[in-house]
Amino acid sequence: MSAIRAVFSYTFKEHVRHRAWLSLALFGLALGGGGLVASALAQEERARMMLDLGLAANEMIALVSVVFLTVHLVLREIESRAIFLILTHPVRRPHYLLGRFLGTLAAVGLGMAALGLLHWGLLRLLGWGGGGSYLLAWLCSLGKTVVMGSLALLLSLALTSEAAAMSFSLSLWVLGHFTAEMHFLAEKSGSAFLRTMIEIVSRAAPDFARLNYRDVWHAGLPTPAWMGAALIYVLGYSAACLALSAQLFEQKEF
Amino acid sequence: MSEAAAFRGAGKVYRRSHLGRVTETIGLLRLDLKIRRGEVFGLLGLNGSGKTTAIKLLMGLHLPTTGEVEVLGRRAGDVDTLARVGYAPEAAYLNAALTGRETLRLFDALARRPARGREERVARMLDQVGLSRAGDTRLSSYSKGMLQRASLAQALLHDPELVVLDEPMTGLDPLAIQEMRAVVLWLRGRGKTVLLSSHDMSEVERVCDRIGILNGGRLARVLERRDWEGAPNAIESIFAQTVTRTDGVGPIHLA
Repeated sequence: MSAIRAVFSYTFKEHVRHRAWLSLALFGLALGGGGLVASALAQEERARMMLDLGLAANEMIALVSVVFLTVHLVLREIESRAIFLILTHPVRRPHYLLGRFLGTLAAVGLGMAALGLLHWGLLRLLGWGGGGSYLLAWLCSLGKTVVMGSLALLLSLALTSEAAAMSFSLSLWVLGHFTAEMHFLAEKSGSAFLRTMIEIVSRAAPDFARLNYRDVWHAGLPTPAWMGAALIYVLGYSAACLALSAQLFEQKEF
Repeated sequence: MSEAAAFRGAGKVYRRSHLGRVTETIGLLRLDLKIRRGEVFGLLGLNGSGKTTAIKLLMGLHLPTTGEVEVLGRRAGDVDTLARVGYAPEAAYLNAALTGRETLRLFDALARRPARGREERVARMLDQVGLSRAGDTRLSSYSKGMLQRASLAQALLHDPELVVLDEPMTGLDPLAIQEMRAVVLWLRGRGKTVLLSSHDMSEVERVCDRIGILNGGRLARVLERRDWEGAPNAIESIFAQTVTRTDGVGPIHLA
């Protein structure tokens, strides 16, 4: 546990001190400001528009950050050889990987929380008062971020090319929003080969429909069963990606 | 058990695949070598002779293709044994985002040392390597010499039984070389085992008890101190007779 904590701590510091962090924060602020201006165009639905724009911006920034950071997470340490000194200490490789992953998530989560608070503050100023719903929507975005982070880490270790890992991650993120459509396509497909391929891709890609609380929140707060299923899905999918990543990482030589 | 480390028929072949074509490079070939406890053992060799490969096998960063490598009685790379080994690579591969103090805190924790007393241990080590005043400066602002000291500090912080130094004198100024020599002798005085690789024959000659000469991935010769003591330039002439270039580079002749 102490190794995980130590790796977590330096990873978190490393990300927070990175200059890109500041650029992302500024980008988030600019998006928030842009949302405020855009929402002014729709006077009656101003708060609603601001809400949707802000949540979408926060999720996009988190997605880009987590994919970018996790794809570089281990590969950069291999390239700079900083990994030599870590792994020649009594650190189990899965612990190193988990510490790096959790440190990155904490940094991205912190950024999401800061942007979320700012956004929520703006919404309060516009007279919107759905605090509980907002928190749930934010948590669902965080869930997607966790899933994408673990998937990007796995792809970076499997493909060992940052560009390829990033493109595959972003493609799977897009596909993850269309799993129902992919199942439908597979059913309608005449070719058995195509059907199998679509099924494989749709099963491997994350199913973000399970985390799309924003799509249904106007019907009220979700049931505990829905929230439990979403949580189990995030934990299960991420754990599977991390277990496979650890398996790949165990076989690597430096 | 009198060995700190042992290579038993250890070999390493690097396989690289590019566009379906597999190329093989021999890193190390059937190395049989025992490093005794409490000695300073030097590995000498040309570039590509297998010095760093041998060290990486010892540290568990590479897996041997043939044979086996043991460190302090356990298989190389055994996680628990690594707590008793210190390693400083040829360059300071440290995280530039951290300060010197944070770096040592990190390695102290990774070495499984108790959190209690960590600050004192870290402060003492920073003082010992002359980095007290730069302890709270990020490594990105350190000079090369300061980074080498920080790298050495992380290797010694957990009081290891075996210290592995990969080309510790490379790129250092004369004063720093003198200090590094003093560190190796201090370690020997405290009963530690030191394995160091180097190109610098005069330095190896001064600090080592035994020397192994690697040539083209093979251990060509092992020298005892009596083989070179009292004979000026003995190591240089033995080395020149023992090694041959394997990198396809011919000799320089300007005449």
